[in-house]
Amino acid sequence: MNTNVRNYFIKIIALILVGSYLMDKIAFVLLNSISDEVYSGQSIGKLNQFLEIKDELDFIVVGSSRANHHVDVSKIHDNSFNIGLDGTKMAYASTLIKTLSNKEQVILMHISPETAFSESYNGDDVQSLKSKYNRNKAIKNEIDFLKKNNPLQNFYWSLGYTGSILGMIKNIYFPNYDYTKYKGYDPLVVNSNQKEILEKILKRNTTKPCKNKLTLNPIYAHYLTELEIFSKQNNKRIVLFTAPIYNDVCKSDNQKLQKFLQKSTFEYIDYTDFFKHNNTIDLWKDRTHLSDKGAQLLTFQLKKKINIKSN
Amino acid sequence: MLFNSFEFLIFFPIVFILYWMLQNNFRLQNILLLLASYIFYAWWDYRFLSLIIISSCIDYIAGLQIFKASNQSRRKFWLYVSLIANLGFLGVFKYYNFFAESFSQLMNQAGWQPNDLTLNIILPVGISFYTFQTLSYTIDIYRKDFQPTTNILSFFTYIAFFPQLVAGPIERASNLLPQMERKRNLSKEWIKEGLVQIVIGLFRKIVIADTIAAYVDLIYADVGIYNSSSILLATFLYAFQIYFDFAGYSDIAIGSAKLLGFKFHQNFNLPYFSKSLTEFWRKWHMSLSFWLRDYLYISLGGNRKGIKITYRNLLLTMLLGGLWHGSSWNFIIWGGIHGFVLAIEKYIKSKSFSIKLKPINFLGYPITFAVVLLAWVFFRAQNLTIATIAIKKILLFEWTLPYMGDINALANSVLLLTLGIIFDYYLFKKKITLELLGNQFNIVKTSFICSFTILLIILFYSTSNNFIYFQF
Repeated sequence: MNTNVRNYFIKIIALILVGSYLMDKIAFVLLNSISDEVYSGQSIGKLNQFLEIKDELDFIVVGSSRANHHVDVSKIHDNSFNIGLDGTKMAYASTLIKTLSNKEQVILMHISPETAFSESYNGDDVQSLKSKYNRNKAIKNEIDFLKKNNPLQNFYWSLGYTGSILGMIKNIYFPNYDYTKYKGYDPLVVNSNQKEILEKILKRNTTKPCKNKLTLNPIYAHYLTELEIFSKQNNKRIVLFTAPIYNDVCKSDNQKLQKFLQKSTFEYIDYTDFFKHNNTIDLWKDRTHLSDKGAQLLTFQLKKKINIKSN
Repeated sequence: MLFNSFEFLIFFPIVFILYWMLQNNFRLQNILLLLASYIFYAWWDYRFLSLIIISSCIDYIAGLQIFKASNQSRRKFWLYVSLIANLGFLGVFKYYNFFAESFSQLMNQAGWQPNDLTLNIILPVGISFYTFQTLSYTIDIYRKDFQPTTNILSFFTYIAFFPQLVAGPIERASNLLPQMERKRNLSKEWIKEGLVQIVIGLFRKIVIADTIAAYVDLIYADVGIYNSSSILLATFLYAFQIYFDFAGYSDIAIGSAKLLGFKFHQNFNLPYFSKSLTEFWRKWHMSLSFWLRDYLYISLGGNRKGIKITYRNLLLTMLLGGLWHGSSWNFIIWGGIHGFVLAIEKYIKSKSFSIKLKPINFLGYPITFAVVLLAWVFFRAQNLTIATIAIKKILLFEWTLPYMGDINALANSVLLLTLGIIFDYYLFKKKITLELLGNQFNIVKTSFICSFTILLIILFYSTSNNFIYFQF
């Protein structure tokens, strides 16, 4: 490579770096302004709505899809919100709880014994908050703590919006719902095609072998400890619950988690076998997710159990 | 190490800078490339480096001995040494379990119950690629098409050269080895071409292919429960997933090599724009299809021994080509379908039909695509049972709406796929290859194209999956 070509190479690389950096910043500013207008849709809109109203709420539901689709919060308390999100677990839920002020609040948090004793759970779900990485310090700290930040995100800020752009644009022009009436609960409506698929799956009757070695996942343990301290310092009543499963064969993980939580100040309700004695297929969308009909029955029971007075 | 990993993003610039710092001594550059290539490979599993080294040693010696041999039997002996060693490695690591299982099943059907003959063997990444590469070297020398190198360093670097080590393109010695043995230069044109091809390759892989993969994986994980349209849609998407995955890999490989001063052959040339399967194979995984043509089809007699032998040769070549991809009946059937249709095309071409069919030549595009699509079912399914279920389900013609899964993800897939197809159509219409695209623009436009593609990657990339061809 002669000097001329070397200079040319340096020039082109510099142009690409500067060009992509500037384009990224323009895109970031644009996406921020779009994102701030979005109040519908799971990944951005729902989060925006929650972050805006979180400190005014009395009752909050957090957790995975089994929180989101199973707890109709409006039936439990008027001033409530369900921030459950598909695919998220302990890290995501705990990070959101840690953004709350010290207002007195009741938090219902879904926990799964399977994830609690999973060896592979590594807190990846916190990345669902990456769109706020460069905009919310508490979220940035948690993502950094779990080392889940994309190393390039300090240079290319738009990485926080990867994969969400189409959804955001769609939700601006065609929102899924009227957010002023939305409380975060997304009922699962099961169509005939899905019902047929579920019937086929259930007929197979395949079960996974139960785990013998049950060690609490370190990230799970870390967040449980943190939440216990946080709840004491910030006037929170945290109720942990496990949502029903169609036919849960392994019980040892439930028992071990129950035992572990007995030592803590958390209230814990295990509803894994909630429908064991009155089970019908129309209560389910799949083995771990309830239909709206199933969710309403569960919500009714949760309301009685948690017993919060409505204003 | 994967091209789409953060490690490679650090690794390549370091190698690039050190490499061009040594530009006055190409032997030192080769030492650096060899070390870098071994590190690149060892990142996956250092133990299997020994296989590459042993294979390189055998072929280096075999090549020299074939060339030096005074008589034909001695030449043949050393060729057999190379063939047995290379195919032996491939046989043990890739095919042993397949043949052992097939043998056990056959015995079971005959009423015998042999002990479990399978072994717990890991398939070394890239073995199919570098084995074919080393084989072409010794065969070319045996055929007197190429003279062996006496420089062991160049030869070892040629075999291990990291851009093409684990998933090709299968660069033959006649193209790459002479480049290893002379001073390399980097021109402004090559810089532009290489950079554009790398970023577009990355876009094809981590944006298009990996986004599409989610739906394909969902449906093929349990084909029994989905309707015809879902399986057909998943297969259609898979056709593009595998194309953008592998073509993307090849683009990054060719672009990276170009930045190091090496010119690779083109490996994909818009294969779905083909009017016949024969044309498809001139555009799909070209380094493999030309290898199979030159070293298998022609060795079997090609089309020189009459029409019936030609059909046999075609079928056999494609069956073995299928088996090259993986040790499973699925791949053999996949190859069989291609071989059978290629033979039919040969038959049509040999008769006067082809003139009569000229007015409807344009139908060749959809028909070729349909055949390729059908064959992809066998390629994608985990085993023959699943492939059979998928084909049966497709033939049930349940044309209700396909299962949508995550609607946002599916919408993303459709949008990105459309973008990919439009880009390919642009290249097709303009009659430009991606290899030369970068050279069409000045420095500012090239930088803009690269920057904009990087922005698209940032905004749309999907969680990285392994390259599909790593498993072969």
